[in-house]
Amino acid sequence: MFFHMVLERNMQLHPRYFGPHLHEKLTTKLVKDVEGTCSGKHGFVVAVTKVESIGKGLIREGTGFVTFPVKYQCVVFRPFRGEILEAVVTLVNKMGFFAEAGPVNIFVSNHLIPDDMEFQSGDIPNYTTSDGSVKIQKDSEVRLKIIGVRVDAAEIFCIGTIKDDFLGRN
Amino acid sequence: MTEPFNRLVKLAARAFYDDFTTKGDNQPKTGRSDNRGMAVVVLDALTRRQWVREEDLAKSLKLHTKQLRRTLRFFEEEKLVTRDHRKETAKGAKIFSAAIAAAADGQQVGKEGDEKTKIHTHSYCCLDYAQIYDVVRYRLHRMKKKLKDELDNRNTIQEYICPNCNRRYSAFDAMQLVSMEDEYFHCESCNGELVAESDKLAAEEMGDGDDNSRRRRREKLKDMLQRMEEQLKPLTLQLARVKDLPAPEFGTLQAWEASVNAAGRGGNNNGSATDASKSAQGQGYGGTPMPYIGETKVEVTIFGADVKDEGAETEAATASLKVLPPWMIKQGMNLTKEQRGELRPDAKVDGSEAYRDQSDEKKQEQKQEDVKSLEEEYLTAYYEAYARMLEASKTAQGEAEVSQQSTSSYLNGVSDTNSARQVGMKVKREDDDDGILNELSIVNDPNAQPDGSGDEDDDIDWEEG
Repeated sequence: MFFHMVLERNMQLHPRYFGPHLHEKLTTKLVKDVEGTCSGKHGFVVAVTKVESIGKGLIREGTGFVTFPVKYQCVVFRPFRGEILEAVVTLVNKMGFFAEAGPVNIFVSNHLIPDDMEFQSGDIPNYTTSDGSVKIQKDSEVRLKIIGVRVDAAEIFCIGTIKDDFLGRN
Repeated sequence: MTEPFNRLVKLAARAFYDDFTTKGDNQPKTGRSDNRGMAVVVLDALTRRQWVREEDLAKSLKLHTKQLRRTLRFFEEEKLVTRDHRKETAKGAKIFSAAIAAAADGQQVGKEGDEKTKIHTHSYCCLDYAQIYDVVRYRLHRMKKKLKDELDNRNTIQEYICPNCNRRYSAFDAMQLVSMEDEYFHCESCNGELVAESDKLAAEEMGDGDDNSRRRRREKLKDMLQRMEEQLKPLTLQLARVKDLPAPEFGTLQAWEASVNAAGRGGNNNGSATDASKSAQGQGYGGTPMPYIGETKVEVTIFGADVKDEGAETEAATASLKVLPPWMIKQGMNLTKEQRGELRPDAKVDGSEAYRDQSDEKKQEQKQEDVKSLEEEYLTAYYEAYARMLEASKTAQGEAEVSQQSTSSYLNGVSDTNSARQVGMKVKREDDDDGILNELSIVNDPNAQPDGSGDEDDDIDWEEG
């Protein structure tokens, strides 16, 4: 699920950037640093929408770097258990398949794939129903439900299922 | 008071442990050596006892000690039973039997054991009611949770096992396990092919490939849940009944033994009894063949209750301040009454007995005889000397008089003579060597000067007369 929230970060700036456009330089640096990263607590930072405030800089001892506390608004993405997502299949395996929903990777094991779908190896490994109506292979879109979320310090990983109603393809 | 708890234990035993065997799963020899249900028997037996030695339990249940031990070990792991292992001499083991008897009869079984210095490890076990209540509740909770999770499709995170090294992986680890050329997951350490683990209760229905199979699975689970609730209803009822009652608490093995010994001796001497039993336990504990004061107490009871009290008193007294033997007392030492052994006449008698109690039983009996004969000799000699001294002391005034108080502690009946004089007076003492007979000479010597004439007179008188 997506959230819009205020986060804070301490940015260090090299003296070469001190000048009339200090704040813009700081904002650019922030965006570069933060977008695309993931924290276990908040999830993936998708985009920085606005820099709320930049505090007074503190000169570090020894070096000339200056630390600014920056508050910024951003969009974060964090998956939850029980959530239903659409994902794109990246890898199909005998043990299940891997899919991506934005920055997060989801694994669906073959136990959680409906029993009427069989694995077919070959050039393009896929899962197909017995009557061939539904086929799940690389780059197909799949709706799945998140069963479990594992949150590391900088990594989020999910397990999903397509065994319930309205899940799977189409 | 423990009745509802006992019933709880019995119900739980029959519900969960009635198919427990000690055989293991490799060789099912049915018929002859089928001992299923033994666990129930053992638990039932434990409800009728408190702390019990495993050997005794095996004997009364007519089971092999090893089998019983295995069963009890299993129960200890299930947290139904507490066990205690104690290194004890055979004597210490008898203390325990005495304690059991006391718990049963309220009487003390005084045993004269022989001295064994071998130390065996005895195992004791007891039901732990408070834990049993919790354990049974937890078990029920886990059973229900498993079924409900299955119903809700909650426990669906796949697990993988490596057949070679038995390492378990979760589906979360799948990310790291994949990306091999072939299509299986491989173990991280040994690269063996992982096998998906199916832990589902109702996962047998395959092949239909239908909504039907799912529905059937749900039906099966619901049915199982219902049957479980129904069959466990008496147990759940008993749990509810027992919920508000305080669980019977037996404490640790030592505490229980102490309290039982105290109770067993009756209302008379709770204090001394507990002391004695505790010290006995301490001794049994240490494994040294030290005397069991409790057992010797049995002899003392012949003399009546008072004696015991005073015996305890003097023991306490002697614990605080030791009675100095006469050869230790030097002149000019500032000693208290107790150290000189000046006690009340009654206490003295019992002090002597108490003192005797502290020595070995067997040797004690011999010693008693020796001491008695010695005492009699001393008595006669002492009386003579004393009589002479009395005469002399009448003539000589303000003389330092010898105190034989401490030696009297070894004597029977000398107390009378001592009580007549010098009770409450500190008296200087002469240096002397050991030996009772030396006392005698010393008794004579200091008085010899002033009384020398008296003696001589006496002698002279005698000679003359």
